[in-house]
Amino acid sequence: MMVSLRGNRVIPVLALMALALLWSLDFVSVQPNRIAPGNGLGLLAAVGLPWALTLTAALLACALLALRPQQPAYWPILWLVSLLVLQLPLSLAWSIERHIGADMPYARVGIGAGYWSLLFLLGLLLIELQQRLRLARAWLLGSGIALALLLWWLAPQDWLEPLALLREYSSRRSQFAAALASHLGLVGGAVGLSLLLGGAIALLLQRYPGAQKGSIGLLSFIQTIPSLALFGLLIAPLSYLSAQFPWLQQLNIRGIGWAPALLALIAYSLLPIVRNTCVALAEVEAAVIESARGMGMSPTQVFLQVRLPLAMPLIIEGVRVTSIQAIGLTAVAALIGAGGFGTFIFQGLGQSAMDLIILGALPIIALALLADSLFSLLAERFYSGVGDDRAE
Amino acid sequence: MIELSNVSKLFDQARAVDDISLTVATGELCVLVGTSGCGKSTTLRMINRLIAHSAGSIRIDGRDIEQIDPQQLRRGIGYAIQSTGLFPHWTVARNIAVVPRLLGWPAERVRQRVEELLQLLELAPAEFAGKYPRQLSGGQAQRVGVARALAGDPDILLMDEPFGALDPITRESLQNELLRIQQQVRKTIVFVTHDMDEALKLASRIVVMDKGRIVQQDSPQALLAKPANAFVENLLGGQERGLKQAGLLRVDSLMQALARPTSAVTGPRIKATDSLRQALSLMLWHRCSSLPVVDDQGRQVGVLQLDALMSRPQ
Repeated sequence: MMVSLRGNRVIPVLALMALALLWSLDFVSVQPNRIAPGNGLGLLAAVGLPWALTLTAALLACALLALRPQQPAYWPILWLVSLLVLQLPLSLAWSIERHIGADMPYARVGIGAGYWSLLFLLGLLLIELQQRLRLARAWLLGSGIALALLLWWLAPQDWLEPLALLREYSSRRSQFAAALASHLGLVGGAVGLSLLLGGAIALLLQRYPGAQKGSIGLLSFIQTIPSLALFGLLIAPLSYLSAQFPWLQQLNIRGIGWAPALLALIAYSLLPIVRNTCVALAEVEAAVIESARGMGMSPTQVFLQVRLPLAMPLIIEGVRVTSIQAIGLTAVAALIGAGGFGTFIFQGLGQSAMDLIILGALPIIALALLADSLFSLLAERFYSGVGDDRAE
Repeated sequence: MIELSNVSKLFDQARAVDDISLTVATGELCVLVGTSGCGKSTTLRMINRLIAHSAGSIRIDGRDIEQIDPQQLRRGIGYAIQSTGLFPHWTVARNIAVVPRLLGWPAERVRQRVEELLQLLELAPAEFAGKYPRQLSGGQAQRVGVARALAGDPDILLMDEPFGALDPITRESLQNELLRIQQQVRKTIVFVTHDMDEALKLASRIVVMDKGRIVQQDSPQALLAKPANAFVENLLGGQERGLKQAGLLRVDSLMQALARPTSAVTGPRIKATDSLRQALSLMLWHRCSSLPVVDDQGRQVGVLQLDALMSRPQ
């Protein structure tokens, strides 16, 4: 029998995969207290038959609508997927309602692999739909932020209170805020400083192109040092310096803490920024520079009005890569006492507390996604003149 | 007026331009023509100091260009190039406004000038002012390039193969446009091309260059009549020289005029302002030895005989 698979194939694959994982993996787990091992519950056990069947029907409908032979019905699929995303917190609340009684004050509900798989695959479905429907990237970013705000509002509600993730959060509210501040501070400081430093290096390399190969080689070499090793290597010289110069200690610059972390992050950030800036400045079409000179622009005007704006999208791309890399590396910097969300991850690893690890990992993922979309948007805006709507 | 005396340019040891002397009078459209690498572009770019000359002197209206600040000099000289070099991040209006803004014109005057130039180049201001270069076709982009070169109202215009990358039809319409604009604004234009037909069509004087030297400079007619050597003859297209020459002459120069215009004619006919080359082509096509000549209203004003073409004095 031949089944013609016209229409969209990505959506059915994702939807069916979500369905399979949803039914085969644990949806939630119930722990009597924080230490005791959890008891995994499948979809049916967690939310009951009506809810499980509704979820199944919705995912199947997505697959079928996408397989419509003429034109896949993307808008209805988008509505279905949005509803599926919105029911995610509700299904958790419903599982809690069903399994945690008032007589179990220490019991907590952990989020299972099936639930995470559903979240992840729904995310992929949304991206696919955004591309098929040619929705602006801003739309995806906007709905992501709306969802985050919704979660922020839902989190303190009573009916989600037994959620293990939230319990870990509510016992660490102030630490969470401090981790956010130090994570953002380290990333912002590292990216900002390496933008200044990298920009200066790139400008120097423009002037002395002979040094380009060597400098990029050196920066690439730094990039190959494992992050943990680089953090460790910086401990000794910084300890020595801070022992020699007491005023450094006043600034809290010592072998561990934010100072070695910031230095290492800058060292890693320089390569993408310098390389992208060099390429961006060199790639500007020679004819454009020539005509700028021919019009009578001074060298400074040529640089500021023509070369730099035209190089900007690629430079921003470098900043985007750097930010995402720094957000991830800062997690490791928690090991040398630099703070940030990595603290939770390593605490969680030490205590075998999965939910604490997730409490550290989720904001890191969210920050990376946010940085990615923001800088992509910025790069698009910057090059508004060069759209793909050509004449004829 | 532009005067080059004994100008040379050395790149490392190679002589790109070798001891050339050339005077371009005010209001002249001087075309530098030659094969690639003959030094014509280098010569052009030495005039606005994009390239510094190694020896000799270049004067504009009697002033040595080395005495003029290069940025001031360039703001007073229009410059258009083959790849247009439009700034992709700026709109058409902003592109055209570059030199006026560099010259510090007030905003209102800049705006008026941009509109005036868009109209001169037959680009509707309402439609084109806000577009970006990528949204333009090749011909439109080149029109904007020419408008930008004219924006600061310079006395001199340097054009480096401005129409080289365009399709034949667009190229021809822009050539006609340039001739029309030149009638209106009377600039001193130095135009570089490797296309001899373009040179013959546009030039009031043609300068043929080869290996960095000037081989011959003359009016198009004189060049066709007396090419200095085999190289020039070859550039002129060898066997097609007769047709090229005929292309420079108008039908009314050889027709027998009628005493008074008659009513409209039908069938094969030629306009008085067309070239002898077009007349010859029509005769070949219709296999006839004479054509009625008509004016713009279609009334017959004369007759052109094939014999008249053949017996025309050399």
